[in-house]
Amino acid sequence: MIANSFEYSAPGSLKEALALVADGAKPLAGGMSLIPMMKLRLANPEHLVDIGRLAELNYIREENGSIHIGASVTHYDIETSPLLMGKCPLLAETASYIGDIQVRNRGTLGGSVAHADPSADYPAALQALEAQIVLTSAEETRTISAEEFFVDTFTTALEEGEIVTEIIVPIDAGLTGTSYQKFLQPASGFAIVGVAARVRQAEGKFSMVRVGVTGLSGNSYRATRVEAALDGKDANDENIRAAAALVASGQDSSSDLHASAEYRAHLAVAYAARALRSALSRSA
Amino acid sequence: MKVAGTAQLPFPPERAYDLMQDPAALQKAIPGCNSLERTGDDEYKLSLKMVLASLSGQFEGKVLLTDHNRPYSFKMLVEGSGKIGFVKGEGVLSLMLLDGGTEVAYEGEAQIGGSIASVGQRLIDTTSKLLVKRFFKKLAKIGSGETDAAEDEA
Repeated sequence: MIANSFEYSAPGSLKEALALVADGAKPLAGGMSLIPMMKLRLANPEHLVDIGRLAELNYIREENGSIHIGASVTHYDIETSPLLMGKCPLLAETASYIGDIQVRNRGTLGGSVAHADPSADYPAALQALEAQIVLTSAEETRTISAEEFFVDTFTTALEEGEIVTEIIVPIDAGLTGTSYQKFLQPASGFAIVGVAARVRQAEGKFSMVRVGVTGLSGNSYRATRVEAALDGKDANDENIRAAAALVASGQDSSSDLHASAEYRAHLAVAYAARALRSALSRSA
Repeated sequence: MKVAGTAQLPFPPERAYDLMQDPAALQKAIPGCNSLERTGDDEYKLSLKMVLASLSGQFEGKVLLTDHNRPYSFKMLVEGSGKIGFVKGEGVLSLMLLDGGTEVAYEGEAQIGGSIASVGQRLIDTTSKLLVKRFFKKLAKIGSGETDAAEDEA
């Protein structure tokens, strides 16, 4: 199908792009979600500002013990970045699970995050990493946590005129292991349930556990009950299984033709255990 | 598709019930609603613009409120259609006194069709829950006198 007509701007600088966004133009990054919606005429923006081409937003660099990633870095560049693979492998691993190679070549981290699809992969990793998200408008720049950023289905803390410009992820010390485990819907590649685990051990006990979940309900979240159940406990499979059983508690599990609410909750438990086990095995 | 859930409102069932029969309050609380006109005893004409992420669409339709049993329950029937598809649903809303406020339990059946359904299958459940949540959140504000016309749906 063919989209309705619209105006297209490809400004050369972030400043110009922000001025257009302030005037009501819709940012276009990789277009992997927006363009299909426009072709089906479900989305009809009048003016698109292409921020996917801004060199200013295309970087992955280490700074003050964290890794800063520009919003228009593609999934493929995240998946294959030596810096990320070495120092924040969870994000690189998560990116490798997104859609297919065509989508990963075009789609961007900032675009995916701003779209906030409830089944997207990144939110699980960003919650587990306690990532920071940088939002910029023509007037100001602010930085908020992933937890504050993801508000609900397709709903983020982005205000009118703001765009996602950078994502900041931590560099973990040794003895930290991470893993992303996903049950995917084969036609779309989206997660029916995806769980990201990040664990650190000291003397055979869990000294830090972070678990991020996507796909189960309308919004990604940190499974704090699972984290608390493991904190300080012996790093073994029995404890992992007992803690993983809590992953869906308190969540309003989604239901669709691919998976009922009960099945999703069951998958979340199974995949939380897998992610924790795999992360633990990588933490030594 | 089955639609069911509960929501809390910070005022007693009588007030909650009356608000949900009040076209002015409904118009403010229904996400994206730009007009709601009474066309018969229990019938209203509805026009709304749904905006969610990059998706947006204009819907025209009607709302029927029947089986009045103030302040315990009523039945609601909604029909709407637009370029991007149609929505049809009916359900019963039951109100219960809970800690001085109201717990609203809703249960019904909804049908969604057209291009919105053919591409959005996997998102219908999460987005409808989101819209219901927004509706009750806004209604709670209206009922507590915390809102004015200038405020947008949050």
